[in-house]
Amino acid sequence: MVAIEIKDLTKKYKDKTAVNGLNLNIEQGELFALLGTNGAGKTTTIKMLSGLILPTMGSIKIQGMDMTKDTFRIKSILNVSPQETAIAPNLTVKENLDFMAGVYQIKDKDRKITELVKQFKLEDVLNKRVKTLSGGWQRKVSIAISLINDPQILFLDEPTLGLDVISRKELWQVIQGLKGKITVILTTHYMEEAESLSNRIGIMANGNLIAVDTVQELIKKTKAKSFEDAFVNIVTGGKLA
Amino acid sequence: MRMFNFAKRNFKELIRDPLSLIFEIALPIFLLFIFQQIKIPGDTYKLENFTPGIIVFGFSFITLFTATLVAKDRSSSLLIRLGTSPMRAYDFILGYIFSLLPIVLLQDVLFFVVACLLGLKITFNIILTILISLVISVLFIALGILIGSLVSEKGAGGVGSVVVQLVCFTSGMYFSKDLIGKGFAVVCDVLPFEGSLNLIKGSLNHNYALISVNDIVVFTLYTVAVLIAAIFVFQKKMLNANK
Repeated sequence: MVAIEIKDLTKKYKDKTAVNGLNLNIEQGELFALLGTNGAGKTTTIKMLSGLILPTMGSIKIQGMDMTKDTFRIKSILNVSPQETAIAPNLTVKENLDFMAGVYQIKDKDRKITELVKQFKLEDVLNKRVKTLSGGWQRKVSIAISLINDPQILFLDEPTLGLDVISRKELWQVIQGLKGKITVILTTHYMEEAESLSNRIGIMANGNLIAVDTVQELIKKTKAKSFEDAFVNIVTGGKLA
Repeated sequence: MRMFNFAKRNFKELIRDPLSLIFEIALPIFLLFIFQQIKIPGDTYKLENFTPGIIVFGFSFITLFTATLVAKDRSSSLLIRLGTSPMRAYDFILGYIFSLLPIVLLQDVLFFVVACLLGLKITFNIILTILISLVISVLFIALGILIGSLVSEKGAGGVGSVVVQLVCFTSGMYFSKDLIGKGFAVVCDVLPFEGSLNLIKGSLNHNYALISVNDIVVFTLYTVAVLIAAIFVFQKKMLNANK
């Protein structure tokens, strides 16, 4: 079943086209990684898919619902972990979880909070104000918050940016655990992250989606030795292969 | 209700910022106390006139710290996250307004406690004045939301400070507009701060002759216009979060 259906999605800012005629279907339970160089249009795409900004042209259907007509129904079944940590700095970790549970009006919020605290091992920092935590912890909390409403669609915008190796591996485990259960769209600059986690990969450059396939197929098509080489080959059109 | 949930969060953010409490509550109380010790001649500094001035002065800091909170939320990506949630524009606007009202109430109560300790007569008018000032504070909160939606966190501090200065000079809390000249008096008439002060002063003194039609019209027009502008600009900024 198709979870996300994107047709001719375009976003223009005056003279600049940030996303240009993107067509893509993402299956239910799929973990789809969106890769690209800086300014490729990944974050703009995620912002349109999550209903934060309006497209200039094109359509988005989430679980069969039209983004322009059913925005608020769609918003209740998705969640986003933005690129920067998006948490209330003067609130404790528990208060942040509680606040976001209120935003999504979670009925059994204590059970859900306990589950997330356990899943992300937040016990030691639960009553600490978020602004006193390290960047790594803040990012962990930010991602835990994005699961508060048991989203059917989850957007992770560079989730492991700034995390140490151990924290990154721990987070990979969490993301792996989500595979098959919810549809995850992940943007990252780490090739090994996309390679190890995703079912399929989409590569963007200058606002265009220039390749979509599995890691193995992308390597095969470009005759590259590694996925990183395949990525460089695709983005540079073979100039840096 | 999402707006109350958001208000609860905003309230916690605000009261955990010691600087905001110092400027919103401690500084006006200090001024109220100190100006009563100096014994300046004239009616302006009598407790029944100066306490309303202190209330409006306190509100100007409500504008400043609301603007800072909104601008900070915008820059911290928290609003990006909330923008993808089922919260609607009115949840945000009312959430900000409701979070500030308990602080306004706290300001009023503490200002009147100090004023009464300094000699202000305890009357039923104080309760009425507190209720009226809660309504008036909506203008100052909405102004803060508007400023916070338009400028950065640093800019919010700067523009908020301009509002503080405008309140000091044009509300009539320190001196009558007629002392400066006709041009200045016109500026005071078209800005909503003198009207806000007169509404509070009139109700505290049970002297409604102090409130002119111009005060009511200007205050009402500003409140409606600023509120509509705040909702419009805030929503527009939320839908263009990466601009």
